[in-house]
Amino acid sequence: MENSQKFCELFFQALRIRLVEERIIELYPGDAIQSPVHLSIGQEAVAVGACRDLKKTDLVFCTYRSHAFYLAKGGSLGEMFAELYGKVTGCARGKAGSMHLAAPEVGLMGASAVVASTIPHAVGAALAAKRLGHDQVVVGVFGDGATEEGVYHESLNFAVLHRLPVIFLCENNGLAVHSSQKSRQGYDILDHARSYGLPVYHIAEGYDFVKVADMMSDIIQRVRLTREPVFVEIRTYRYKEHVGPGEDFMCGYRQPEEWLVWKRQDPLEQYGNLVETFRPAILKEIDEAVHFAMSSPFPSAEELLRDVV
Amino acid sequence: MLCNAAVTSRVNGQAASGLRAEAGTEIMSYRDALHWTMHDALQRHDSVLILGQGVDDHKGIFGSTTGLSQEFGADRVMDTPLAEEGMTGVAIGAALNGLYPIQTHIRADFSLLAMNQIINLAAKYKYMFGGRFDVPMLIRMIVGRSWGQGAQHSQSLQSLFAHIPGLQVVMPSSSQSILDTYPAVIDRYRGPVISFEHRLMYDLQFYVTPLATRQEIDPFGSRLVRPGEEVTIVATSIMVLEAMRAAEHLALVSDIQCEVIDLHCVSSPDWDLVMHSVEKTGRLVVADTSWREYGVCAEVCRVVAERNPGCLKAPVVTLGMQPAPCPTAKCLEDLFYPDLRQLVDALAVLVTGKKSHGLPLPDTQSMADVYKRFKGPF
Repeated sequence: MENSQKFCELFFQALRIRLVEERIIELYPGDAIQSPVHLSIGQEAVAVGACRDLKKTDLVFCTYRSHAFYLAKGGSLGEMFAELYGKVTGCARGKAGSMHLAAPEVGLMGASAVVASTIPHAVGAALAAKRLGHDQVVVGVFGDGATEEGVYHESLNFAVLHRLPVIFLCENNGLAVHSSQKSRQGYDILDHARSYGLPVYHIAEGYDFVKVADMMSDIIQRVRLTREPVFVEIRTYRYKEHVGPGEDFMCGYRQPEEWLVWKRQDPLEQYGNLVETFRPAILKEIDEAVHFAMSSPFPSAEELLRDVV
Repeated sequence: MLCNAAVTSRVNGQAASGLRAEAGTEIMSYRDALHWTMHDALQRHDSVLILGQGVDDHKGIFGSTTGLSQEFGADRVMDTPLAEEGMTGVAIGAALNGLYPIQTHIRADFSLLAMNQIINLAAKYKYMFGGRFDVPMLIRMIVGRSWGQGAQHSQSLQSLFAHIPGLQVVMPSSSQSILDTYPAVIDRYRGPVISFEHRLMYDLQFYVTPLATRQEIDPFGSRLVRPGEEVTIVATSIMVLEAMRAAEHLALVSDIQCEVIDLHCVSSPDWDLVMHSVEKTGRLVVADTSWREYGVCAEVCRVVAERNPGCLKAPVVTLGMQPAPCPTAKCLEDLFYPDLRQLVDALAVLVTGKKSHGLPLPDTQSMADVYKRFKGPF
């Protein structure tokens, strides 16, 4: 399997995201990146698998942990690093930082730092697609914690009521900051979603980008044809702390043993030779992106009041 | 009279006895102006979508959307679940993908359930992403008053929203104001606009410029509605009508001529217009539909104090609701809102400099003929 073209392409995309974030970890102590970073390391396969069969005109709405989706959807790496550095060449001219990446030219429609708040945007964009007769598929990405918010229910209800072409994609890493899912939820996410009367899918192997891509390919195709909503839960695992560049297994709220279970299945950890094959080209791209960011100007004072209204 | 909106005392659709359309004017109720702009928006823009609880029912948001769902389809004039935050988020997403949503809150109080989407998302989507997105949408909020609307059906929350950069907040004070504002906003403005409509104006008739001769004007900014020399009244929404009544009374019983400014766009008023007037008259009364604390009254005073406090011949006077939730008992509600006598008295004291100015006060209480005839229930 590791020799198939699909596997290699997805491996490359996932590795690229991981190496980008590992570079952020290296750079972070230098304090040039002055933005809270919520790293996707461990969760890359969800993004690359989910985005593989999306078109540029398909729309994705994200969360503050969106480096992976931004890159998987095709956002510019140079503009992302420039944004993290607070430069005017960043994807949001230095006003977004890490938590609000966007690349509308490839359908990455923004990320919010308020949990669950972009879920209804995906539904609304799907409503517009239906009204205007577009063949777009819209994806709302959110975590397990977002399913506890009221607006999640409101969004599911409206999407089902009006049969809108939206994929509710729950990226379930089992944690809300430091709280376990069990300590927060008196319901089962899948059973609950199913009760709205929409098709429900579950992918337990969120590390397996080929499996994610294959299932998402079918799901995207289904939504594109039926123009009706679906729900997908993909289990995954956050390797790093909630926010920041470090690890936090010493803090006691979770055990390193569960991490090891995920790492043992993580292709990026298991195929060292493939990593070495792809690494030089990726590092070269990252070097160039970081150089672009570092050599770009900061926003001028006029930028402060630009684009307010 | 230079104001383009002369209020009459007619309510509840009664016949226009004694009211005659003068040359070059037409008469249109606030409700009909709203309905006309909603119809016009749907007719001229395929992208327009009206969504709100009850927009398609037989009451149609107090008649402002009646029949539109039947004419334009339920997919364009859409009843919604009771989900204020979710529906505001849906409107934002729809706006990001090519539609122009018009959302209704039949009471402004209900918009508090949508504050996350309005303040954290709609207001910030353009700036936070470096100008890469626009969120063109209109949120209509109706302010209730009288017939025991009480603490949760009466709030006039303009200052909450005007406080937030990224939102435009307007308060149409007449039919003409609606006709001047809504089509222009929907046609040309690419950001979120919040409009506070006053329930007690829905039944009022106003002179308007004939629709065929309408001219495009800035939908934001402020309007000079009555010129005067002795005192400036800066007012919002239905308080503009109170200010006009007070000004007309004082002109009848004295030499006092009040200049009345309709602040209209409370998020970006025409401060030059306000300052020019206050510098001319040297006296300022601010009359707002909400609480004075940290609100429009406070903001107008801030700007005068920062720009030219020396132009004031006397301390400013502010009128607004009493600092309490709105009570339902009529006797308490009458105390809660400022009335016409208080406004006239405040103006007379301010201009004459005497507490016992001797000028007769009007018999009627504030808009009492309207308020007393308002039989609700909603």
